[in-house]
Parts: sequence; structure tokens; C-alpha cells
Amino acid sequence: MITVNNLQKYFSINQRQQGWFGALRGLIKPTQTVVRAVDDISFTVQRGELVGYLGPNGAGKSTTIKMLTGLLVPSSGELQVNGAVPWREREKYVASIGAVFGQRTTLWWDLPVIESLKLLQHIYRIPEPRFRRNFAEFRELLELEPFLNSPVRSLSLGQRMRADLCAAMLHDPVLLFLDEPTIGLDVVAKQRIRQFIAHINQERSTTVLLTTHDLSDVEKLCKRVMIIDHGRLLFDGALQTLQDRFGGKRELVVDLAEAYPTVVVEGAEVLAHNGLRVTYQFDRKVVSASELIGRVSAQYRIVDLSVREPEIEATVRRIYEERLLDREPATKGGRGSGA
Amino acid sequence: MRLFWELTKLSFQRQLTYRAALLAGLATNLFFGILRASVLVALYGTRTEVAGLSIRDAITYTALTQGIIAYLSIFGWYDLMNSIASGEVAADLLKPLSYFRFWLAQDLGRALVAFFLRGVTIMLLYRLIYDITLPHGIEQGLALTASLCLSWFVSFAWRFLVNLAAFWTPNAKGVGRFAFGIAWVLSGFFMPLRFFPAWFITLCNFTPFPSMVNTNIEIYLGLLTGAALWQALASQIFWAVGLTLLCQAILRSGVRHLVVQGG
Amino acid sequence: MKNFNQLNPVATMSRRYIQTLRFTLDIYRRLVAIQMRAQVQYRASFLLDVLSVAITMSMFFVSLALVFARFGNLAGWTLGQVAFLWAIVEVSFGLMDMIFSGFDPINFGRRIRQGTLDQLLLRPVNITIQVLGDDFVLRRLGRICEGFIIFALALKLAHIDWTLGKLLYLPCVVIGLVCFFGGLFIVGATITFWTVDSIEAINILTYGGSEMLSYPAHIYPDWLRRTFMYIVPALFLNYYPALYFLNKPDPFGLPTIMPFVAPLIGIGLLGAALIFWRFGLRHYQSTGT
Repeated sequence: MITVNNLQKYFSINQRQQGWFGALRGLIKPTQTVVRAVDDISFTVQRGELVGYLGPNGAGKSTTIKMLTGLLVPSSGELQVNGAVPWREREKYVASIGAVFGQRTTLWWDLPVIESLKLLQHIYRIPEPRFRRNFAEFRELLELEPFLNSPVRSLSLGQRMRADLCAAMLHDPVLLFLDEPTIGLDVVAKQRIRQFIAHINQERSTTVLLTTHDLSDVEKLCKRVMIIDHGRLLFDGALQTLQDRFGGKRELVVDLAEAYPTVVVEGAEVLAHNGLRVTYQFDRKVVSASELIGRVSAQYRIVDLSVREPEIEATVRRIYEERLLDREPATKGGRGSGA
Repeated sequence: MRLFWELTKLSFQRQLTYRAALLAGLATNLFFGILRASVLVALYGTRTEVAGLSIRDAITYTALTQGIIAYLSIFGWYDLMNSIASGEVAADLLKPLSYFRFWLAQDLGRALVAFFLRGVTIMLLYRLIYDITLPHGIEQGLALTASLCLSWFVSFAWRFLVNLAAFWTPNAKGVGRFAFGIAWVLSGFFMPLRFFPAWFITLCNFTPFPSMVNTNIEIYLGLLTGAALWQALASQIFWAVGLTLLCQAILRSGVRHLVVQGG
Repeated sequence: MKNFNQLNPVATMSRRYIQTLRFTLDIYRRLVAIQMRAQVQYRASFLLDVLSVAITMSMFFVSLALVFARFGNLAGWTLGQVAFLWAIVEVSFGLMDMIFSGFDPINFGRRIRQGTLDQLLLRPVNITIQVLGDDFVLRRLGRICEGFIIFALALKLAHIDWTLGKLLYLPCVVIGLVCFFGGLFIVGATITFWTVDSIEAINILTYGGSEMLSYPAHIYPDWLRRTFMYIVPALFLNYYPALYFLNKPDPFGLPTIMPFVAPLIGIGLLGAALIFWRFGLRHYQSTGT
């Protein structure tokens, strides 16, 4: 569905200078710098995949999306989406994709939602029966009914996002780009939107590329993640692989049957010991969970236990902060099967 | 007072970063100046003097008006109403500086850049194309300086006042367009006020508008001396003080309105 | 039917072209309808806006008239004759500003900064039509009304000898000017792809041009007049047609066809502007902002 080879995008920008004098000097001689927004990225996405595209602010996420949606022409490299080069024959290409940008609406500000959608029917030349079928389905899934007749400007962020999702899917795009679809939403609203994304991915096999800050989106939706920073693709693979390799330490919580003066076990560290409850911390590289459980139950009588995985959020933060991936080339493989 | 100068400085710097805009503005001002000078020359025809203005004065008049457009921001200024519309006003009202002075400081920075880089430059460029009148004498120079400062203040107060409309109506831009349009004609920007019939001049003198443009011009061209000069300056002071008081009063009720409406 | 298509590739292509055109115009009509409905939603506010623009703009002509009383004429042209020039410019500029507001360099520059052009580019409709349809400003009726008022004044004062030819040619002159100024707007908007700072420069041609065309061309210094005849042919759009309408001799002795080239020049400039706009779009897609 998407093939990207050695994609690059450079920008040159003017720099602003400081002070009374600097401002005057900038008048005469501006300073220019080249920014490598996307620096040699390659990946492929199969039909029906749901891929999370992660990265801190300014990492090159939105530049990539702009190239994929045909808004930007790459500086170099190859790019093919659905058999087309996005920026050539723009009008034809964009009819086959859908896009939702969390910060901005594609709907008409002063128009009731329903009229915006009807206008989109004309713009995308959707035949009446297909429009009616899709609209009926999305109306129910996204619970659009309560605000169908309200102008877009009066909608809450969550409502607007639902309306935008509906708008992006009405013409049955084969590929959907979602840029921060859950930004600024509460838990319930996020949940509803995630369900919708999962639904269209599974039922309609729409390929979805999702960029987000909210890692719980990725956790709930994506089998495969790509991580970009400073314009380079740092990781591309299964979410589980990411966890396994960079997940850091896991925790084992044990409820003991009786009190012991000491609860030390080889290969793990005691994080907390309150009465009958002990929390161990261990590294997956040193000892596996089952091994550790074996050791604990051999030494002590236990009533109950549970293993806590580290939060993906902490994992990804660690990747950015400690630059764990900088030293190795982008990890390929581990492509999600795309249910 | 430190904050005041900081704001002025910031605004000064911001204006300087718009290099291309500065050049484009200069070119536009000069172009319009030449058009307007052509119209006046054509109107004069064979006459050498009309209403006390020689043809040279008339051309100088176009130079002056084009030179102070940017300085006085006479085409209109909507920054304040934009900040009310966007809700930034709430944060600005909390600054340890009165709201009037907060904007005054920023407008001063803008006006300084405009005066030197656009106003003075326009006069110099004009000097290359036309034979324009130059001011002479210390007395006239002092009067002109005072008048220019006061005219900026009056124009600022007027713009501030007009912008306050945004507290009450979402269509404040419309109000602004109307108010600035009126100022354009009645200030003597469009044509020298002396060219108009007497009743029209009298009408204008009841408004603050001549204090923004016309007074500068008449002092520059040496048309005002003695008592008339003092009267013109006094009139500027009157409008500066009057409009400021009016601004404060209306601002207070605007803020009250905002609070009642819940922002 | 299929066979017929294969035999006539030209026919197929032109049919497809006409289909696309009809589709695009249909979308344009719908976009404009939305704009209009939204703008007249608050009727009182809308009417007040139109009225206040009409009044403010008329005030300029009224002041010119007051000053005219002192001078009598402008290089041989009476107030009524100047009013004729003025009215045509106002009506045309107002119409242009209503239709082409999406390309007003200031609006368009803002659109680029805020990234809303991208939203339009994501829709499978001709981008030019979308920019036009997304910003149809009915409020400009104020300026158009002002133009008509001054036109009425010109008719009363200038005593034009109307012929059928003049009646038919008048709308063509307006179309020429609308296209001309619209083209300038498009050029200005396109420049904002490179720099948002210098959009004021295009004002020399748009607002400066409309100001210039409001007065008879022979009042300007030669270098200026020649520039606006032979480099930017603005003076053929209004001044030369006015010579024809007012039965005035051409002071510059150009061929007698010159009063009639106005629509051609206007449409030509609009065409050139659209080509430049295509080029600018390609640049935008390669740099973003």
C-alpha cells in the first residue's frame, strides 16, 4: 500500500537575531540554516495494516505525513502510495485517501455537520446509495445523532473529531491518515474514537497510519510501530519487540502466606516489603518471569502473584531521552500481520 | 516604567524583522505620493497658489501625508480588537501596567520604526524627485516636533477607542473600517483641509481628526504662526487628554461587560 | 457506445473535460452558496456593514467633489467625466474583491501560515476553484453600490451620447477590469508562497492601480504613464475606453483600436496569472512553509 525508499526532505529557514543591534543586522544580512526534516527514511506498509507513527515534536512526523498525502514533494527518494505518486495528479490521488488532522477540522465552520457531510458527498462524487449506507453506519458508530444539525463551530472537540472521522471515511478511502486524533480528548471520547478506528481497520480493511503523542492509542490499536526522531527512523517493528528490547525492568508482586524476616531472591531486587506483600523488580535479560516465580515459590509459601509490565510510555520516553536507538540502524522486520 | 520600555523595545525589534514589508511599504507610499502629487499638479493647472498653498507646498503636502501614514497607522489598526476576539485580553489585563499603557508602549515601538525608517525615508526620496519645502527655524522645528508627538498620541487614542468596540460587538472590524475611513477624510489626509469649503473646515475642527494630520502639515508648511500655532497645539493637547479619559472610561465599562459576559 | 469512444479519442477527451468542468462549477456554486448563507445570517449586521462601506467609500468622492468646486476641472476633465472613470473602477474593483477575495494576498498569506491551504489540497477538486469558493465576500456589495451611486452621478453630469455599441461595450470594460485586478490578486497570492513579508508590494499594482485608474492618465508624469501603458497595460483598461465613451480625442495619438482592447488585456493577464499560480503551487509543494 505504501512504499517509501530513502525518503528525504530538507528545508532552509531564516534565523532571527537578538537585541536592538541584532534586529538591525538581520535587516541587512539574514542567516540561513538547512533543516533535515526527514532524513533518509525507508519502510513499507501492507494493505490492511494499522501502523503507529511516533516521535517527539519536530521529529519529522508531519513532514512525512505531508509527503504521503501529496502536500509536499520529497527532496529525494522514492514514494508510492496505492500505486500512485502522491504529489502527481493530486486531485485523483486524494480522492482515494482520507485524512484527519486533530488540530484542524476539514468541515465548514459555519455549516451544520450534516450539510458539511452532504457537501463532501458532492466533492467526492459519492453515489447516493453508497453515501446513505456509509453515513448510516458511521452515524451509529460515532453517535453523531445529537449534533448532526449543529454548526461545526459549536461542537466540542470530541464531537468535532467524530464528525471529522465520519467525513474522512464517507468516500471509502483505502488509506486513512490520522494525525493526533485523540489530542485533548477525555478518556471516554478517546475510547470511542479508538473503537471506531479499530472497526474500520478490521471490518473494511482500511489501512491506517496513525501519528500520536498518546501512547495508549498505540498500545490499544497498533501491532506495529515506527519511531522517528531528528528525521530518522529509529525503530520499525512489532510493539512487543519494542517492549522486550527496551522495556526496562518488570515487576513481580507476591502475596505471601506467612511473614518472613527476609525475602531476598537471586536475580531480583526487593522494591517494597509491606507485611505480607513483596514487590520485586527484575530485568528480563537476567531472569525470565517464570524462572523468578519458580525461585520465589521454592523459598517461600505464596498465596497470589502478578507480573507488571512497564508502561509503554516510559519505554518510549526512555528511547527518546537516552537515545537508545541512535547507535543502531533502523530495525526492520516484525511487520504486523494486519488482522 | 521599565516594563513600558521593555514592551516598546520588543515591539521595535519585531517591526525591524519585517524587512521586506518595510521596503514594500516604502515603495507603496512613494507610489501613492506620486499619484496624489500628479492629481494636485493637474488641479492647480496654471494657478500658482490656492488657499495659501503654493504648488510646491501642495507637493510637499503629499510627501508629508505619505510619510506619516505608517507612523500614525492611519489606515487602521486592529491588533487590540483581535486580542479581544481571541481572548488574549484576559491575560493582558492582568499585566502590572494599565491596559492603555500596555498598548501605548507597543504602539510607540511600532511608531518609532515607522517614523524613522518610513517617514524620514519618504521625505528623503521625495527630495530626490521633487522640489519640496523644508522646514526652517528653531521655533518651527520645536513646534513641529511637539505636533508630531501629539498627533501620534491622538491617533493612538482614537485607534484604541475604536478597537474597544470589540468588547460589545463581534463585528468590530466593520466599526473600525467606518471610523478609520472617516478619519481619513476629516483629518486632511485625503486633500488639504484648506481646499475645502469653510463650513466643512469648521465641521472638521469640531473633531479630533485635524489634530492627527492637518496640524502637522500646516506647521510644517509654515501656515500657522503666533496665536494660531498655539491654538493648534492646544487643540492637540485637548484631544490627547480628552480621548485618553474617554478611552479609560469606556475601557472600564468594557471590562465590566466582559466580566459580566464571562469572557 | 464503447466503439464510438474508441473511434473518437478526441470526442472522449472533450466529453471528459466538459464533465470535469461541470463538476467543478457545481462545487463552486455550492461553496459560494454556503458562504452567502453564512454571511447574511445576521441580516442587520450585514446590511450595516454594506451601508457603512458604501458611505465611507462615497465620502472620498464627495470630498473630491468639494475640492473640485475650487478648481473647476482636472486637466480639462470635468467632475462628471472623472466620476465616470472613478465609478467604473469602483464597480469593477468591488466585484473583483467579492469574487477573488480568497486570493487577496493578505487573506491568502494568512491561509498559508495557518495551514488551511493544505486542507483544500486534500480535497479532490480543482484548487483554484476551492480558494475562490471558500472566500466569497458578499459584503463587497458596499463598494459596488458606491460605484453605482457615482456612476449615476457621472451619467447626470457628463452627458454621455449613448449608442448601442457603447451600451454593449460597457460590461466588457468591467469584465476586463475584474479579470485584470483578479489576476493581480492571484499574482500577489502566489508571491506569498515565497515570502509573506512583501505582500504590500503588490498593493502598488492593486490598490495603487485602482487609484491611478480613477483619474485621467494624462495627468501623470510620462515615465509613470508609459510604465502603466506598455509594461503593466492598466491604462488601456479604463482610460482608453473612457475616451471612447466620453467622445474625447486621444492625447497620445495611439491607433483608434486602443479603446477596445480592454477585455483582451484583462483576460490575458488573468491567464498569465493562473500560469504563475500553477508554478507557485508546485513550489509550495516542494518547500511547504
